[in-house]
Amino acid sequence: MTRVRVQGIVKRFGDTAAIDGISLDVRPGELFTLVGPSGCGKTTLLRIIAGLLEQEVGSVLFNEDRVDEVPPYLRNIGVVFQSYAIFPHLTVAGNIAYGLKARHLPADEIAAKVAEAGRLVQLDALLDRMPSQLSGGQQQRVVLARALVIEPQLLLMDEPLSNLDAKLRVQIRSLIRAVQRTLQITTIYVTHDQEEALAISDTIAVMDRGRVLQVGKPWELYLTPGSRFVADFIGTMNVFHGHLEAPEAAAGWHQMVTSFGQRWQVRATGASDGQLSVGVRPESLALERGANSDDAWNPLTGTVVEAAYLRAIVRYQVRVAEGLTVTADIHNPDFGAIRAVGDPVTLWFSANRAVLLPDRPGGA
Amino acid sequence: MRGRRRDLWWTVRVAGFLTVFAFLVYPLATVLATSFSGEGKHFVLAANYERFFTHRYYYSSVINSLYLSALATLGALALGTSLAFAVTRYALPGKAFLRTAANLALLSPPFIGAYSWVVLFGRMGLVNRLLSAFDWSLPTIYGWRGILLVFTVQYFPFVFLLVSAALRSVDQSIEDAALSLGSPPRRALTTAILPILAPSLTAGGLLVFMGTMADFGTPMIIGEGLRTLPTLMYGEFMNELGGNPAMASTLGSLLILVNTAALLAQRYYAFRKAYNVVCIQPLRAKRTSRGRLLALTVFAYAVVGTALIPAVTIIISSFMPTRGPVMYAGFSLQSYEAIFFRVPRAIANTFGLTALSVVMDVFLGVLVAYLLARRRSRVHAVLDSLIMLAYAIPGTVVGVGLIVVYNRPPIILTGTWMILLASYFIRHLPYPVRSCTAMLQQIDVRVEEASVSLGVPPFRTFVKVTIPLMFPAIISGAALAWMTTIGELSSSILLYSGPWATMSVAIFTEVFGNHFGTASALASILIVAAFVPLFLTYRVLGERAALGV
Repeated sequence: MTRVRVQGIVKRFGDTAAIDGISLDVRPGELFTLVGPSGCGKTTLLRIIAGLLEQEVGSVLFNEDRVDEVPPYLRNIGVVFQSYAIFPHLTVAGNIAYGLKARHLPADEIAAKVAEAGRLVQLDALLDRMPSQLSGGQQQRVVLARALVIEPQLLLMDEPLSNLDAKLRVQIRSLIRAVQRTLQITTIYVTHDQEEALAISDTIAVMDRGRVLQVGKPWELYLTPGSRFVADFIGTMNVFHGHLEAPEAAAGWHQMVTSFGQRWQVRATGASDGQLSVGVRPESLALERGANSDDAWNPLTGTVVEAAYLRAIVRYQVRVAEGLTVTADIHNPDFGAIRAVGDPVTLWFSANRAVLLPDRPGGA
Repeated sequence: MRGRRRDLWWTVRVAGFLTVFAFLVYPLATVLATSFSGEGKHFVLAANYERFFTHRYYYSSVINSLYLSALATLGALALGTSLAFAVTRYALPGKAFLRTAANLALLSPPFIGAYSWVVLFGRMGLVNRLLSAFDWSLPTIYGWRGILLVFTVQYFPFVFLLVSAALRSVDQSIEDAALSLGSPPRRALTTAILPILAPSLTAGGLLVFMGTMADFGTPMIIGEGLRTLPTLMYGEFMNELGGNPAMASTLGSLLILVNTAALLAQRYYAFRKAYNVVCIQPLRAKRTSRGRLLALTVFAYAVVGTALIPAVTIIISSFMPTRGPVMYAGFSLQSYEAIFFRVPRAIANTFGLTALSVVMDVFLGVLVAYLLARRRSRVHAVLDSLIMLAYAIPGTVVGVGLIVVYNRPPIILTGTWMILLASYFIRHLPYPVRSCTAMLQQIDVRVEEASVSLGVPPFRTFVKVTIPLMFPAIISGAALAWMTTIGELSSSILLYSGPWATMSVAIFTEVFGNHFGTASALASILIVAAFVPLFLTYRVLGERAALGV
C-alpha cells in the first residue's frame, strides 16, 4: 500500500494558475476523492500525479520516494480516464493484457492474470469481444481491469462514471469500491459530483480555482463545512446573514439578529465586527418546535412558494423575506405535513444544527 | 524538469523544416529572385515584369489563364453542385454507381482526358472520321473550347465529392426548421442549406481554380498554341534557342501569386463561414414527380457518363489497330507491343519513382502529422502552412525552381532521377499529412496516455497504439498520393532527362509524335495503376475513408 504525498504543487497554463499551491497527504489504502466544479484543477492535479503533466513547483512522493523525475511509464500507476481510452484495435483480453505484455511476463502468466482480472470486473464471458461490441458500462469495466491487472501501487480515476447513465453509475460505483477494498489499493478519484464523492470516499478534498479548500471525511465536510463554498458545494445550504447582539450569559449562547429582523440564538462567535453568517441544511428545518428543552429552537416564518412531493420528503421553497427563499425538506410527511403554495408557514431549527460560516466576500 | 527537448519529435521537426526548405521554399524563393534578375549593364528591378505587361505575346497568357480557370470553376461548381444535390436529395436509381463513377473520373490525369477528347473529336478522331462518311463535320475541339470542356469535365468531381460530403452532414432538422418557420423550399435551400455548404463550395471551387491554373498538359494537347501561364512558362524555359529562365521565373511568380491569393481568399472566407453542424439525422431524399425524377436521372447519368468518356475511350482505343493518329476498327495488341520498342523504361521509371515517393511521403507524413496534431505550437503551424503550400504551387514552377537550384554545386541533382523524386515527394506530401492530422484529431489523446501509464514508453506507444489507429488515414493518404503522383506531368516534363522519362512524359511525347496507339496503351496502364490502390482502399475502408472526406 502506497502513501501519496503532494507538496506545494503549482502548475500554470499561460497566465492562469491551474494548480495554485496544493499539498495533500493520502493514506495508504484509502479512496481519496478530489471534488470540485469543472476547471478547479482536479484533473490537472491527477495528471501531475500520473506524470502525464509536469508541475512547475512542488513534489509528488510515493511513500518516501520523490517521483518528479520518474516518467509516467515507470511510475506503475493504473489510470482510468473519463473517456475510457480503451484501445479500439485490441480485444477485451488484449486491452487487459496490454500492460502485462509491456512488463514482459510469460504468456501463461498473462493469460491467468487476464482471466482473473476479467472475473474481478465480471467480464470473463466477453474477453474475445472487440471494444466496439461493448456497452459503455462494459468498456468502463475493461479499462478498470486493464488498470488493476498491472498491480499498480496507485490507482487514479478521472471521472470514471460521467459517461454512464444513472443506474449503471451506481452499479459501477459499488463495483469500484468493492474492488478497491478487496485489493486495498490506494486510489485517487476525481469527480465533479458531490453525491458520488460522498458515497464512495474515505476522504474528500474539495477544490476550487486551483486550491484545496477543505479535506475531511464525507460527514465532516457536510456537517461542518469550513467555508461558504464547501457548504454550498456539498449538498444544499440555506445561508442567513446577520449580526450579534450582546452575548447572553447562559451556556455560551449568543443572540443574533438576521438581516430580515428575526431574533435567533446561536452557538459561538462570529467575526470580530459582530457580522456573521449561519447555515442551516434543508433537512434541519421542521414544521414543529422540537421537544428537547436543552436546545434552543429558532423560528423562521414565511410563505410557501413551491412544494414538491417526493415520497419520502416534501421539499418546500419558503420565502422568508424579500429576495430570500429557503429550502426545507420535511421527512416522512403525512397529511398534517402538507402545505399548499401560498400558505403561511413557520419553520423551526435546532441551534445545534446551525453551522457558523466564515463570511468572506466571494463565498470562498 | 525532465529533459524532453531533443527527443525524436525534435528530429522530426528539423527534418520537416529541412525538407520543406530544400525542396520548396528555397526553389520558390529562387524563382522569385530570378524573376527580378536581368541581363545587360543597366539593371532594372522589374524589367521582366515590364516586358511581360507590355508585350501582348506575354500578357495574353495571364488573361487566357484567368479567363479559362474562372469559367471552368463556374462550370465545375454548377455541374458538381447540381449532381451532388440530385444524388443526395432525390431517390435516383443507382446512386452508388453514380458516386463511384464520379470518383473514377478523378483517376485519369487531365492531360489524358484532353488526349481522349482529341482521339474522339479531333481532326483524325473517331467521330469525325465516322461523320465524314456522311459529309458531316463537328466544330473544332481544339483551342479554348476544348480546354474549357476538359477542365470542366475533369475537375467537377472535386466539387461533387466535397459538396456531397457536406450535404450528408447537414441535419434534416435544419431544413425542417426553415420550412416550419415559413420558408418555401427554394428559400429554405438558399437561406438555410447553401450557407452551411459555403465552406465546401468554396473549397471545391478553389481546387478547380488552382488545378486548372496549374494545368500544363491540357492546354498543350488540346489548346493548339493557345498560351496559358504554364505552357508559356514551359516554352520560355525550354526554348530551343536557349531558354529564358528570367522570363520563365516571372511567369512562375505570377502563377504563385494568383494561386496563393486564391488560396488565402478561400481560407479567409471559409474560416469566417465555418459552422459546427451536428448531424443526427441526415437530409432525407425528397419526393418528386416521376417526370422530374426522370429528368434528374437523365441529367445525372449524362454528366457522369461524360466524365467517364475519357477513361473508356483510352482503354478501348488502346486495343485498336492504329497507324499514327488514325485508329481502325478491330482488336489488336500492337500498341502494347510497341511500348516495349518505343519506351521500354518509362513504366519501370514511373512505378519505381512513384512507389519510392509515396513511401517517403507516408513515412515523413505520419511523423509530421503527429507533430502537428499532438505538439501544437506556432513553429509547427508554420511547418503546416509550408507543407500545404505545395498544394498551391504548380508543378511547372516547382520544376523550374528545382532545376535552377540543383544544377550547380554543391548539390547537383538536375539530370538524375533524384530530382524527379524530390518534386514528387514534396508535391504530394500534403496528402498523408492531411489525412493523418485529420485522423489524429479524432483519436483520443487519452488512449496514448493510457498506454504510457500502463508502462509503454512514448515512442513504443506511438508504434503499438497510434500507428494502428491511424492505419485508415495512412492507407488513404498513401492511395491519394499514389494516384496523383503516378500521372504527374507538369514537373516531370521539365525534370526528366535521357533514360528517366516517365509514363506521363512518354504519353505526352507519343501524342505529339502522332503515335496515338502507344499513347493510349500507356495511358490505359496508368489509369489502371492509379485505380487499383484506390479500389483496394475502398474495399478495405469504405468510400468515405478512402477519399479522405
